[in-house]
Amino acid sequence: MARYAMVTDLTRCVGCEACTAACSAEWDVPPGHARTRVLPTGPVGEFPRLRAAFYVAQCNHCDRPPCVEACPSGATFQGPDGIVKIDPKLCIGCGYCIPACPYDARYLNPVTQKVDKCDFCAARLERGQLPACVTTCTAHAKFFGDLEDPNSEVYRLVYGRGAERIESDEVKIGPNVYYLGTRGEPALVREKFAPHPPQIPSSGQWWERVFKPLAFLMAGATFLGQAIAFFTQLRKGESQFDE
Amino acid sequence: MSSRISRRDWLLSTATLAGASREAGATPTPGQRAGKPALQVASNCEMCFWRCGILAKVQDGKVTRIEGNPQHPLTQGRLCARGNAGHFTLYDPDRLKRPQLRVGERGEGRFREISWDEALDWLAARLTELKEKYGPESVAFFPHGVGSSFFATLMKAYGTPNSAEPSFAQCRGPRDVGYALTFGRPLGSPEPLDLANARAIVLIGSHLGENVFTSQITQFAEGLARGARLIVVDPRFSTAASKADWWLPIRPGTDIALLLAWMHVILSEGLEDKAYLAAYATGLDQLREHVRNFTPEWASRETELPAGLIRETARAIAAAKPAVVIHPGRHVTWYGDDTQRARAMAILTALLGAWGRKGGILLRTPVPRGHFDLPPFPEPKRGRADGAGDRYPLASEEQGITTGLVEATLTGRPYPIKGWIVYGQNVLESLPQRERTLAAIARLELMVVVDILPVEQTLYADLVLPEATYLERYDPPHIVETAARPFIAVRQPVVAPLYDTRPGWWIARELARRLGLEAWFPWRTPDEHLAKIIEPLGISLKELKARGAVSFEGRPYIESRKPEDGPLFPTESGKIELYSKLLKELGHDPLPVYRPPADPPPGWLRLLYGRAPVHSFARSQNNALLAGLMPENAVWINPQTARAFGLHDGQRVVLENQDGRKSLPVTVRTTPGIRPDCAFMVHGFGLRAPGLRRANGRGASDNALLSRVATDPLTGATGMHVNFVRPLPAEES
Repeated sequence: MARYAMVTDLTRCVGCEACTAACSAEWDVPPGHARTRVLPTGPVGEFPRLRAAFYVAQCNHCDRPPCVEACPSGATFQGPDGIVKIDPKLCIGCGYCIPACPYDARYLNPVTQKVDKCDFCAARLERGQLPACVTTCTAHAKFFGDLEDPNSEVYRLVYGRGAERIESDEVKIGPNVYYLGTRGEPALVREKFAPHPPQIPSSGQWWERVFKPLAFLMAGATFLGQAIAFFTQLRKGESQFDE
Repeated sequence: MSSRISRRDWLLSTATLAGASREAGATPTPGQRAGKPALQVASNCEMCFWRCGILAKVQDGKVTRIEGNPQHPLTQGRLCARGNAGHFTLYDPDRLKRPQLRVGERGEGRFREISWDEALDWLAARLTELKEKYGPESVAFFPHGVGSSFFATLMKAYGTPNSAEPSFAQCRGPRDVGYALTFGRPLGSPEPLDLANARAIVLIGSHLGENVFTSQITQFAEGLARGARLIVVDPRFSTAASKADWWLPIRPGTDIALLLAWMHVILSEGLEDKAYLAAYATGLDQLREHVRNFTPEWASRETELPAGLIRETARAIAAAKPAVVIHPGRHVTWYGDDTQRARAMAILTALLGAWGRKGGILLRTPVPRGHFDLPPFPEPKRGRADGAGDRYPLASEEQGITTGLVEATLTGRPYPIKGWIVYGQNVLESLPQRERTLAAIARLELMVVVDILPVEQTLYADLVLPEATYLERYDPPHIVETAARPFIAVRQPVVAPLYDTRPGWWIARELARRLGLEAWFPWRTPDEHLAKIIEPLGISLKELKARGAVSFEGRPYIESRKPEDGPLFPTESGKIELYSKLLKELGHDPLPVYRPPADPPPGWLRLLYGRAPVHSFARSQNNALLAGLMPENAVWINPQTARAFGLHDGQRVVLENQDGRKSLPVTVRTTPGIRPDCAFMVHGFGLRAPGLRRANGRGASDNALLSRVATDPLTGATGMHVNFVRPLPAEES
């Protein structure tokens, strides 16, 4: 089975946000939200000795994804190819997974009321296309492929050219998005955008925010169903049930 | 991460999208949909002038997605944010939908919707009237973009020589003149730069990265990845500066001093390409004499750059010769000495032997094209009113001087201009000194705007004609001779025009018919027009339309030239003219001379402006996707300056310029990435057009603060980096 990975060359990246636009157009991401974002790290330093790079942020499809653990409905899951996906049919929009992601890669879509994030354009992969951000990248800075295939470009970039992960002392969960930079760009990214520890709700919070509403919802639904049945029966009359 | 757009905006965007879908009679479905494969149509983009190859996906008559066309020889399937967002302009509910005739006062914005027949009959009657009363020269045309060529034909047939586009006097005019004086040819667009093969790249004010032309970015990144050294000269720490081996935060307006000092180092240390210069150049002795005293120490005092840095960068540039791209820039109308600065850059390019060499400047490969046998255009009785070719001897008579036409309209000299037809540009944002532009419009008897969106100038129009967008129309093909492989690319309709909009070719031809000028439009369909143009190319219409673009073998280097390509250096001497006899004869400096700029007085900052990668000019700010990425601009101020003014990051200010002009409120962004004596903002915001519901009043307009210009005596181009501003705390209701 494949292990999909992305490599972004931050020395090439010019921060043009073509990736964000292509992704948003591909996936109907509402304005103001994004599955992938381009974040400036600077400039830092004193004029005129300055440094800056762009951080192209997205879901890292981590080896040990805390979002999967945080999801109470089972909507967030990891496939055998490593892609972390959200099943919209199961997502209840509780938003628990959002602070659980150390990379802030998730958002609640205000239109669908479901959580959304990068899935490496899984639907495109099935059609044999590369992710939208990779094909459009004006600087040719994004590379995608199978990290278990020694002939793949991402294999060469990770194991040959030393593409790096963005991790912090507290957070080492095996991200599968890697960054290249010959001018110290990954270090600049870590300085400003180091992953934060996942915030996973305690069992008390679970009850308050998921099970309690869910329980009320179910109780309410039962009551509502009975009421509807009752009134329907009233309107239709007993005779119809005899047929 | 905080969202960059308010909930109100989102509600507006969804509400208006729903509105659009009702108008269009279909559901807008941007994005991938499961089910039937979509139809794909190849065309080229017009979100900016680069015209990258696109593949538009169409499902149930709607464009659902635009991707790059991998078969396009220049852009190879890559597309910037704007290109990806093109269909959000197509489905912008704020679009102009029907022809409108003004019923209120100019500027009031009260119109009556009329039919195309009524609109065109009305306009034809007005044009006939103006021709009889004042002569055809009294009508001026302000075009921009590829679609304007049909109107250009119409205006020539009508009999006016007065056509001017901002791409000359407000953009790259001085550059093309400066390079033509030196090498015999202008650079043209897309710029013929061999960035991918360069071993050194020099950017002077050019902010590639923030300024995005897809293929140029690809090649720039490729060149850097292959190890090209990068030198960035910019008062601002641009994206490109963050990738530079050397960033030179120059004192604004002193670029010519730096260029002369670089030439001094190269010539005094014998680092020039001697064989190349001996074979192809003239005037080397005069140049050597001219730069003798322009030492790095001298330039250091003017530029505020260390002399050692000037010397070091000169050597680095020379070490990479001839594979050096001195990027000629694009928007170069800064200080009024812009043709001479372009000359200095061209001369430096010549010293490095980079013109026509791998990794340098590519040579043009001609692409033949077919023509209809048109009747000769009537000879205008009066010459151009804008001074091109006369008061401004080197201005292009093909492209004209926009601001010269504004001047003529205002003063009535050399003769009155009474009608304007504006196509594809917004004169209130593209031309500086907007008070003059507005005053000129007030004197007009006829103001016509052909546009996509209700931009501010439409409020002042007598007649507004709603054009179909680039995704709904045919335009002349994009023929590029300045790429390593020259090519031809089609612009064809992807979907039928929405609302009651019409393609430019149809509008121009219908108008021609009503004016009795149909002889200049001898084709019945766009296909017929295209077939004639591609006649000599030996390709079929069907193949071109299916593939989107077809390329040919290029001969971009000196050694690959063939006789049919014409002379290598079509100057008067047939050589590269380091020393320009023509300039001498015209009474101008035959070699570039540095003249110190006026610095801002204490308490004032020089206003600089530029681009953001997700917007084009002032025309993409209402696009839902792009506005989501960047809804408004900010003003960059150095923290030291901010302290002096008592300002903090995130504060709202109004900018006031030296003439008391004030901007709309704008947010301060404090950053060490700008010199303390400058302020910077992205162009195109602060629009005052209520019809643009998303963009109206967001951010501040740099253009509203450009009330002073420094006019280039050679080209009439308006230098606009000569305005000073101070930030005042904003009082917002």
